[in-house]
Amino acid sequence: MSHRMRQPDKKLSQRLLGSVPYSDRLPAGRLLPSLGIIPGDVRSLRELHLVLTPDVRSLPGVDLTALADWVGRVMGDRTLAHGIRTITRESRSYVEGCMKVYDLVGYRLDQAREVAGQEVLT
Amino acid sequence: MPLFGYAAKILRLDLTQRKVIVIETEKYHRWGGGHGMGSALFWDFCKDKKITDGRHPANVCCIMTSPLNGTIVPSAGGRCEVVGVGVGMYPISWFTRSGFGGRFSTMLKYAGWDGIVIEGKADKPVWVDIRNDQVSFRDASSLWGKDTWATQQEIWKLIGVSSDTRHQWQDLQELDLLTKEQRRGKDQGRSTQKPAVLTIGPAGENQTAHGSLIHDAGNGAGQGGFGAVWGSKNLKAISVLGTGSIKVADPKTLIRARVVTKEKYVSSWERPDFRAWTRLGGFPKPIIQVPPPTIDRRPQSCQGCINGCRTRYNIGYGNESACQETAWYGPFARKVAKTAAENTEINLKAADLVQRYGFNSFLFQTGLHWLEYLHEEGVLGRGKKVHSDLPWEKLGTLEFAEKLTHALSTRTDIGRDMADGWVQAAIKWGRGRDLQTGAMQFSYWGWPEHGYDPRAELEWGYGSILGDRDTNTHCFNQIFTTVSAAFAFAMPIRIEAEEMVNLHARKLSPYAKGRSEVLDFSDANMYSEAVAQLVRWQQHYCRFYKQSALFCDLKWPDFYNTNTPNLEGATASPDAGEQVFWNAVTGDKLTFEEGIEIGRRIWNLDNAIWVLQGRHRDIVHFAPYLYETKYEKGELFPFYMWPCRDEKGEWRYTDLMGRSLDKGKFEDWKTIFYRLEGWNRKTGWPKRSTLEKMNMKFVADALQAEGRLGE
Repeated sequence: MSHRMRQPDKKLSQRLLGSVPYSDRLPAGRLLPSLGIIPGDVRSLRELHLVLTPDVRSLPGVDLTALADWVGRVMGDRTLAHGIRTITRESRSYVEGCMKVYDLVGYRLDQAREVAGQEVLT
Repeated sequence: MPLFGYAAKILRLDLTQRKVIVIETEKYHRWGGGHGMGSALFWDFCKDKKITDGRHPANVCCIMTSPLNGTIVPSAGGRCEVVGVGVGMYPISWFTRSGFGGRFSTMLKYAGWDGIVIEGKADKPVWVDIRNDQVSFRDASSLWGKDTWATQQEIWKLIGVSSDTRHQWQDLQELDLLTKEQRRGKDQGRSTQKPAVLTIGPAGENQTAHGSLIHDAGNGAGQGGFGAVWGSKNLKAISVLGTGSIKVADPKTLIRARVVTKEKYVSSWERPDFRAWTRLGGFPKPIIQVPPPTIDRRPQSCQGCINGCRTRYNIGYGNESACQETAWYGPFARKVAKTAAENTEINLKAADLVQRYGFNSFLFQTGLHWLEYLHEEGVLGRGKKVHSDLPWEKLGTLEFAEKLTHALSTRTDIGRDMADGWVQAAIKWGRGRDLQTGAMQFSYWGWPEHGYDPRAELEWGYGSILGDRDTNTHCFNQIFTTVSAAFAFAMPIRIEAEEMVNLHARKLSPYAKGRSEVLDFSDANMYSEAVAQLVRWQQHYCRFYKQSALFCDLKWPDFYNTNTPNLEGATASPDAGEQVFWNAVTGDKLTFEEGIEIGRRIWNLDNAIWVLQGRHRDIVHFAPYLYETKYEKGELFPFYMWPCRDEKGEWRYTDLMGRSLDKGKFEDWKTIFYRLEGWNRKTGWPKRSTLEKMNMKFVADALQAEGRLGE
């Protein structure tokens, strides 16, 4: 999938590769039949990417609108936040939105890793 | 006349005297099996039913099978029920239950026993060696301190299964236990099986509230703290090796019902009904729901079960664990895992950890979030108000998981305060308010919220608080998961709300047959008589069919079935309903409704025990946060879809998030429930008339003697 996002600068890249304090966490659950909704939260983009990783037995539980706000406000990445909002608006379903956001976040992480001189994983 | 389906005798173990007593199953036949028989045995043999801590020497713990164990009844052959007074609940540790799968119950029946009654306390650690009729108490000093896997391996060696049992017959008669006089004919007592062992690990030995019973790699009885019960009795393990069989009354009908199940109700791998709902949960049918094997994993099941809800993995970790154990550390492992593969590995290794310690990881589901919260708030940690030397900064690593599980299993570090229960620890630490804010989501009787929030999923919450523990009965909540998943995928709704409730209502005999409104969980109906009837049905159904007949909770009931032309499921059906299988095995002529009635009787016996322990309606309350805070809309999943009637009376799937429970209205609802049950509305205690109609005069007399009869 191609994404058009300007590469983050070094400072933003460091932030995107790091974790935010507990007080800035974003709630994120998982629907796992027949266990129900498993509570949790995310504090980093890398963790968010794992939460959104497609899985045949469960679904991620993330409020995509709140996520976009969180990415903009807490992570300080307005470009990514805009991308998430666009996906959320245009997706035909919640699951489609999650999968597209998963791709987008993975792409953004790779951009940040590249800037930071780290190995690109996805 | 033979008791078809039963082994005909129950083993009573007096640990204090190291005596073995045989009880005839016939005496307890009216209770069916499993939980029902266990409750009745507890009633008869527990000398002090007022005890409120399962570690009390008077406690009696029953390990019970069902007539269906060891037969080919689908999704019913391998479950085992545990009852007794539990440990770690709040404010009272009730007479409660747990269950586990695997091959222990079948092996016990093949050895000739329908159940085990454990009473008293051994003067030093013992394990019990059962080989058919031969039962002995053996010294467990060399096993004490070992984890659950090492214990089982050691017992296999002690019994003589020292090598590969795939190729060698194990001759029970040549084992060290028997004298020549005790040996019987050569055609009895040969097996290629390993003994089935049920054991405790360090968490149970140290009598902590988190102690589980573990069998094989990953079958655990967690809720109830029965590991601590065994630890208090100095009972390390029970090993059983049996070579008998179970007589079935009507094999022809049993085979026919099984074939009907396969041909009519089962999803086909060749022609799966992918239109049913979504990919979530594998094939879209509850009775047969085998996750297809992949290159990464293959299914593993309880003995005799045609499903395979557990897994063996190619990476070799987390084998035979399923459900909560493989999920408890997920929200934390991903904080440190760099890749999905690493995340999976930490998760599965964490599953192995709790199994080996014999630790009930269900407590971590919301509990570990609470501990993290305390740490992050500066309350818990090195030099903090709640001192802990655990490396909290490493939460998410396997190292931390091991240290935490170790501490809680050995009463070290914060484990000292938590050994008697999590809510008890919160109170000791001055954190009672966390139950008001929801920082600690322990919803009912000191147990954590399961994943089905009581503010949305009423039958789960109401059933739990009117019972003894987190109900963990998955009768209806597939409505939430399948419908919500369909909404999440924006797929066409396969069964619309009105049809969905009607399909269910057809099966809800006798209390709610044809009354679709019992499933209306809207704000307007959530405290109604209709919902009370639903909760009654679920409790009574489960007490008999799930917990006594031991039909698997995850597979039964089958209310609707997308493989049948009219969408009707197998439950209560004349061709493959629960009662058909029961009758085929036992020779009884039970109607589906009569099974529910047995369940009502068992439920009433349980309630009588709770009343003797101190139950009164004034203490039947949820944790305060369920009344004082709202179920946050969309926070952990976008919606909680459920069929509800709108203001025009039309059915539609509706999101139930965003509301709280109203304490006053819930009190009124309890009054309705007590009235329907024939219990006193002011106390919740049963009335003599109610009990006598169920031939339970002996219970009424006992309650009256204690001044706790509801009249």
